[in-house]
Amino acid sequence: MGMDRRDFLKTCSLLAVGGLLFGCRKNALSEISDGLAGRIPDERLFEEEVRLALSMSRKELDLVAVPMPKALETKGEKSPNRFGMVIDMAACNGCGKCILACNRENNVPLVTEEDAARGRFMHWIEIRGGAPFMCAHCGSAPCEKVCPTGAASHTPDGLSTMMYKRCTGSRFCGANCPMQARKFNFNDAKSLGLSRQFNKEVPLRSKGVMEKCSLCLHRLQDDRLRFKTESAVAPGASAEWRGRGVKTACMEACPRKAIVFGNWLDGESPLVKAVSGRTLYAPRSLAPFDPSVLFLMEGR
Amino acid sequence: MTPLQNALGCLLALGCAYFFWKPKARLVGNAAILVGSLSLFVAYAFAVGDTEFYPFRLFALALCFSTTSLQKDRRRFLFLAQIFWLWIELFGNISLYYRGYEFAGTRLVAIAGLALCSTFLSRISKEMEFCLMVFWIAVWIFF
Amino acid sequence: MAKLLRILGAVLLVPGLMALCSALQVGPASWFTDEKSFWGMPICLFVFWIGLAHAGTLLSAVFLALGVRLDRRTALLAELSTLCSLSLAVVFPLVHLGVIENFYMVAPFVDSRGIFANAGSPLVWDFCCIAVYGLLSFLFFHNHLSSRNVPAQEIIRKPFAWLLLPLVLWVHSVVSLDFAATFVPEWQGAFFPVYFVVGAVYSGLALVNCLLCAEGYRVRLLEKLMIFSSWFIGVIWGWDYLTKGVFFTWAFVFAGLLPQLLWVGAVRDSRVGRLLVGLSVLLGLFLERLYLVSPSMSELPSLGLVDLGLVSFSAGFFLLFYFGLRRFVGCFVDEGGTFFGDVDGSEMEEDLSATEPAEGDEKYVNPFSSREFRTIRLPLLLGILAMLLFTVWCLNVPDTDLTLVNMLPLTYPVLALVAGISLWVSSGVLREISRRVLLVVVMFCVLFGVLAGIFFVGYPSEESGRQIRSLSLTERENNSEKEKNTERDIGLSSSALLWNARCSSCHGSDGKLNEKFVREYYPVPNTLTLSRLDSLGEDSLYQVISRGRTNMNSYEGRLTEKEIRGLVRYMRFLAGEE
Repeated sequence: MGMDRRDFLKTCSLLAVGGLLFGCRKNALSEISDGLAGRIPDERLFEEEVRLALSMSRKELDLVAVPMPKALETKGEKSPNRFGMVIDMAACNGCGKCILACNRENNVPLVTEEDAARGRFMHWIEIRGGAPFMCAHCGSAPCEKVCPTGAASHTPDGLSTMMYKRCTGSRFCGANCPMQARKFNFNDAKSLGLSRQFNKEVPLRSKGVMEKCSLCLHRLQDDRLRFKTESAVAPGASAEWRGRGVKTACMEACPRKAIVFGNWLDGESPLVKAVSGRTLYAPRSLAPFDPSVLFLMEGR
Repeated sequence: MTPLQNALGCLLALGCAYFFWKPKARLVGNAAILVGSLSLFVAYAFAVGDTEFYPFRLFALALCFSTTSLQKDRRRFLFLAQIFWLWIELFGNISLYYRGYEFAGTRLVAIAGLALCSTFLSRISKEMEFCLMVFWIAVWIFF
Repeated sequence: MAKLLRILGAVLLVPGLMALCSALQVGPASWFTDEKSFWGMPICLFVFWIGLAHAGTLLSAVFLALGVRLDRRTALLAELSTLCSLSLAVVFPLVHLGVIENFYMVAPFVDSRGIFANAGSPLVWDFCCIAVYGLLSFLFFHNHLSSRNVPAQEIIRKPFAWLLLPLVLWVHSVVSLDFAATFVPEWQGAFFPVYFVVGAVYSGLALVNCLLCAEGYRVRLLEKLMIFSSWFIGVIWGWDYLTKGVFFTWAFVFAGLLPQLLWVGAVRDSRVGRLLVGLSVLLGLFLERLYLVSPSMSELPSLGLVDLGLVSFSAGFFLLFYFGLRRFVGCFVDEGGTFFGDVDGSEMEEDLSATEPAEGDEKYVNPFSSREFRTIRLPLLLGILAMLLFTVWCLNVPDTDLTLVNMLPLTYPVLALVAGISLWVSSGVLREISRRVLLVVVMFCVLFGVLAGIFFVGYPSEESGRQIRSLSLTERENNSEKEKNTERDIGLSSSALLWNARCSSCHGSDGKLNEKFVREYYPVPNTLTLSRLDSLGEDSLYQVISRGRTNMNSYEGRLTEKEIRGLVRYMRFLAGEE
């Protein structure tokens, strides 16, 4: 009798443990997701969320003067391009159209209500100190230095890129960005019905990866491929691609032309023309890292 | 931090090292003296303005100085104290390098070299003790 | 007593497993993550348990290396607690990750299709250091146990301790660099490595003291060392406050003030008193790590059920595992002395602070010629060689901007790994295992390595036999009649250029897929054989290009109709249509 009882207790406890470990698959979140799975959120929800974000924006920008960005120091071939943006603080009125355009262009998901209440949005652009702030694509980026898998890396063209499939979600890059420009996909947006693929050229990110402003890399890539194809087929075209004519989504959307995208190393670029004779500013904590997205202040 | 302040720190370490490992001291006494000197070093570093890891460097230097007066197993502890100093310098410098400061490579090589060479000492005579202390002070001042 | 603790462990494990399951299922959304640093309870628990894993190795290895005699019983228990803490600690970084299945990408020796881990990242150093530390601790423990039966194997214990001692300090220094190499203001300070090690030693001593209370005996030396550590860490906390103005009050109360109660005789002599002080220290140090990892956490109620559940999981798992294993190694521990009683530790104190009467000159041993050194000479050489090769290899991986300083924290783990394994092998432990078993194991390892290599590196891509230059496409066009439909598409030569610009990055310039690039990121596209193309038909191929498929973008709007048809024709050419 003693042995049977012991065996019985042992089996029961093992079953209990197994049940606890594997039986919790159905938790609260999955109940919601079953209801919402596959549902595509309405466009108005995105606009409302941007409005909410604007109303909650409280952070300020502490700007210092920085020199004009030069060519990146890369091993091997040097690229003739270094892409970046400049934001005119005098022209910006904080309307938030850039945020909405960026969200549409890059399929940025909505967030759950608790996250929204805490101000934890997925928007790549935030309004800080009355001007849009996004990843500055630093030449010597602190985030890239600490990414363990190499998912956060830098192109020779000056963009700080993100390889979503290589990301393992350690969030070290997010911790090391002095301005908290990076966003983490806490939720599986698709299964929670929070994401919408506005733009087929940009992939939807899965749960657990970091994301941030990509300077509309897909637009640059399309332009580069178009250039490569054309120049191969029609000889006599100019030798190198300078990315002229490409506009980021935020730049296109801004009604006051406060955001200018271009190529710091190209004299013909609208970016270089917009900053001629003006002093460039960057947030104080980013200045030592050689940022490519800079600010212009009123009258200076 | 000016070279004068650096040298004063060195003197402070030397002074504190005099009190470590006195022959009649019990374990409690030794621990209290160690902790007390560390507090002194922290206070000095704060006054001088370098609180990155200067107190620990002073502490390691003081430990190195103090090993010259041990009676038992002197060579072993001499080596270990220098390794301790090397450890503090190595990881401190790596941390600073990641924050943009320069990596003090020559200092590390000098300490490592001294540690390696000190394993070859057979008799540590009074002259040799003095020589070692001079080398450590030289590394401190010049590197 | 041990049985009671096992039951307690099981009871704590129940909610712990639920919390762990929830954490793994839901991911980082289920626990409190800091606003600024995105980190939270799993990393706090990781640092805490890694620190505790120092208890065993530190006490055994340091005392052995310094020539202090620690009784075998305490040493064995401490080593056991190391193994249990370490196996618990490695769970938490995995829980912390957002995409757990990608964890292998952190290893700096798997070149996954041209993408190499960033060997300059502190997390990569963490991975290597802890893996090596775990393996060598296990080997050290195994040697400890097996040398009871085969005393000849005892010869490697001291050299192993010399190897393991720096590794212990190295591991925790590297863990501290996770924080000290960043730009988070609260985590700055070049004094972090020593600070973390002092904290780890302190928590390890507290844990061993608690475990000894459970055993029913005490080692006074360890209690004294615990108090001295509390003074040390108090000074460092003061230093932290002076530099950053940050002070962890509750941590100071539990781990700085309360342990001073041990000066009171009543507390010190009662088993419950010592246990409570030990637990208070552990709590205080846990809180300190929590505040450190979450710098913008304002008050404790931010912690949710999953956070508390994870703490419960770690405590329950440790108790169950430790006291479970304790039963098995009990036979080694219980012999050689009374089970209950006092181990004064006075012999150990004498070793630490006494001055022996001078017996003339101490026996002088030429450097690098002692018996222990001769045992470790060859393994050390192998280790240094491996370290040099590894460093040179990493620095030469293309497309990285690593410098020597980035590689420094990886040097010693590699050295210790190779040296430790060679040392363990050299102790003759393998002579015990039969030849056949050894052969099978070695062959299995080689096979596994080959398979892993194939899986990660991908099958070698075939070189395309078809060079565009070798076959003049325009000539073919002019000669063949079938090709004379330049109205419909842009012609073979233009299609070839377009294919190379657009399609070859995934499909390869020869139509066989570009293995190295594609396999990791997307499901593999099908090879273009003629039969497959025929079965799909030209129209559906057109649709595939213009509308896209899973993992292939649509090219509508980016290519004209003529270009798409040209590509379809080129595909048939690549597939071998003559």
